[in-house]
Amino acid sequence: MKHAERILPPRTRFTTEGGLGVEVARRGRVPLVSVRLVLQSGAAADPADRLGLADFTVRLMRRGTSRLDADALNEAVEFVGGTLAVFAAEDFVALAVTTPAEHLPGMLDVLAQMVREPTFPQHEFDTERDRTLAQFANDLDDPGLLADRALQRAVWGLHPYGHDVSGNRASLQRLVRDDVVAFHHHRFGPAVSRLVLVGAVDAATVRPVVERAFAGWEGGPTQVAVPPPATQAASEGKVLVVDRPEQTQAQVRLGGLAYRRGESVAFPAQVMNAALGGGFTSRLVREVRVRRGLSYGVGSSFESMRAGGSFSVSSFTKVKTTRALLDVTLGEVARMRERGPTQAEVKKAQEYLAGLFPLRVETNEAVASAIADLWVYSLGPDWVDRYRERVRAVTRAEAAAAAARFCFPRPAAVVLVGPGEALARAAEGLGPVTVVPATEFL
Amino acid sequence: MSSPFQVHEATLRNGLRVRVVPSTDTPVVSLYTFFRVGSRNERPGLTGISHLFEHMMFNGAKKYGPNQFDEVLEAHGGRSNAYTSHDLTVYYEEFASEALEQVLDLEADRMRSLTISDRVLAREREVVKEERRLRVDNEVMGLIDEELHALVYQAHPYRWPVIGWMGDIEAIQRVDCEAYFRTYYAPSNAVLWIAGNVEPEATLRRVRRAYGDIPRGPPVPTVVNAEPAQRGERRSVLTHPAQAPGLLVAYRGPAVSSADAVTLDVLEFILAVGEGSRLTKRLVYEEKVAVDVGMDWSWRIDPGLLLFHAELAPEGDPALFEAALYRELARVVEQGVSERELTKAKNNLRAHLLRELTTASGRAHALGSYEAYLGSWRAGLRLGERYARVDAAAVQAVAARYLLPSRRSVVTLRPGASA
Repeated sequence: MKHAERILPPRTRFTTEGGLGVEVARRGRVPLVSVRLVLQSGAAADPADRLGLADFTVRLMRRGTSRLDADALNEAVEFVGGTLAVFAAEDFVALAVTTPAEHLPGMLDVLAQMVREPTFPQHEFDTERDRTLAQFANDLDDPGLLADRALQRAVWGLHPYGHDVSGNRASLQRLVRDDVVAFHHHRFGPAVSRLVLVGAVDAATVRPVVERAFAGWEGGPTQVAVPPPATQAASEGKVLVVDRPEQTQAQVRLGGLAYRRGESVAFPAQVMNAALGGGFTSRLVREVRVRRGLSYGVGSSFESMRAGGSFSVSSFTKVKTTRALLDVTLGEVARMRERGPTQAEVKKAQEYLAGLFPLRVETNEAVASAIADLWVYSLGPDWVDRYRERVRAVTRAEAAAAAARFCFPRPAAVVLVGPGEALARAAEGLGPVTVVPATEFL
Repeated sequence: MSSPFQVHEATLRNGLRVRVVPSTDTPVVSLYTFFRVGSRNERPGLTGISHLFEHMMFNGAKKYGPNQFDEVLEAHGGRSNAYTSHDLTVYYEEFASEALEQVLDLEADRMRSLTISDRVLAREREVVKEERRLRVDNEVMGLIDEELHALVYQAHPYRWPVIGWMGDIEAIQRVDCEAYFRTYYAPSNAVLWIAGNVEPEATLRRVRRAYGDIPRGPPVPTVVNAEPAQRGERRSVLTHPAQAPGLLVAYRGPAVSSADAVTLDVLEFILAVGEGSRLTKRLVYEEKVAVDVGMDWSWRIDPGLLLFHAELAPEGDPALFEAALYRELARVVEQGVSERELTKAKNNLRAHLLRELTTASGRAHALGSYEAYLGSWRAGLRLGERYARVDAAAVQAVAARYLLPSRRSVVTLRPGASA
């Protein structure tokens, strides 16, 4: 067997005395380092009556530690030209730092303080909650975002993946500071976290620095709950219309369930998707944009998480041509499901995916994220390095089988955002139609 | 800043400028084509033609027919895209190194012999109208921004949006596109940047072979800046169904060629880059008059804007935000900035310069943009030194020069049913 090519740089691994796994990869010539601390517990673990808790907690962690208030913390990061971003996904939360190499020790100290000793001041809690509530309201003015949220709910329903990571107005209004303190106490710990450093960093030199910064961070949870698999899209075969009467354009989404992260069907599925709606020469782009001028953008994609995944089609068009767009996209997806991609499409998709892959891990940040993902999703060490090889090995029959399995073999959940009455008419015959006001998604 | 890479350059006899930046980090090449044309080069009746034309460039030429551009590129493991701004139109491709010759052939083909048909124009017109509906007509900030530019600029082409007015998009004809292509898409109005895993001498030879026979274009018409002086604050109020009031505040700034441009970069970082920046700290976290605030000082060939944007809560009051913003701006004008803030801004600008040069694509785009705006890419690499020389007095002086009520335009959006 030939050796896998090397996409990710070599890593040095060690575990701190407290039990935090660390991976260090030296790469590039630029004197910058990207640091990523991931916790293997995300929005899917939000209690049903506290949706948004993971995301809110991690955002509040930067608003004060026992040694630094929010201003001092921001100053510590930003004065030297560093950046700090915190965010939650369904299966993890992440704290990401970039820093000039000479300031790495200071940044690691700040990072360790945030995860070990956040103080969650009440006044910062109040400000952040008010900002988030305002954000929810303002999000209603973003038709694309609204459509994405509606589709997530239509596909996943009450499953832990069915809510936006930031929660909603009702859940945020219920949130109190104690929830955040408890979340941090019960969910955070070295055994369920991993620290990744990529760039101008040397493993031997940085190890004592990491040990010092995270000294005493021990105990805490040792395992995380994985959500149950979903068996059926919540609103399969149904049409959800989100009413925004003033819009001159309809946002259109179609969705169904697909595979979970790490399943090997990912490779034929990605090849099939590149032919259907991935690149700029895909069938959907050709039929919707190039042949008919119905939209500026159309695409299909898979999203895969620890316990499951989804397949969706996304586009938009002027209200009058909504039905035409729906017919064309549903028709193309059905054609792909029934006959699969052609041999030529498979070949082109393989070249496209394999050729572009190095660009997906070009920056230190992207490499740190890819290394963290290997761990979060238990992908196996050669998942990234063998990606191109496995894409190139996909056969037409495998891609066709993936199409048969994922291209809506059961009727898609349909989401339309725009003027309710007109869109309900446009969707006639596609399944039971429900029209809801946009405020349903506050 | 010492340069971690080399730039090889050449100018073909037809005026095409070529720059090659070799590196071996990834087996990939980025090719950027910068045309010095944007909505700035348009006139009323033809607004949006630069952007519409960008769409036309993907629809076939003499050798490679309709849709072949992306077909060939994707089959070689590549992708392409483009953008149009007020000042520039930029095309880029990223692809595996072995496809370089093929991609040059594709790019040269469309520069030499683009096909412009009524049928394709009719279809792209619909696509662009859909893009306009997406970005402006159904997007609150898009609406406000469009209103603001029309308020600030009375005579200069920055008055209209890059995507153009809907009526003009509908009216542009094939003959307009043909004239536009001849004038602005000639090699003499373009710069090619090729960065990544390439051998410089062989690459320059390939470029000469692919582009050498394309004739030089006519001189590009000069853009007249007839913008009259502003004689007082201008205000405009929109009504639109929205959750929250919105607003944009703009001050007329200088052109990128002004010595003040880099000093304003420093001011921008002090005021609005980072959670600890003055405006975020004061207006979002202390006074809580906005949910979010930002500043945009973007370089432009002709005098541009210092733009302040805010996201307000549904119950937010634009008047309170304005008052708080003006107090903060007055504080810079009257008291200046601290040495620590100045050092912090410079540290961040230095890190920013480093970050944008870390990838092949980033290098091609950054250096190409510097060449377009500053006259040479070398001037871009000297930015670090220019920032280092900015002192607190200079920051205070530019604040005093530009942040004047008489240079200000304000657009507010009031939630409500449209008329």
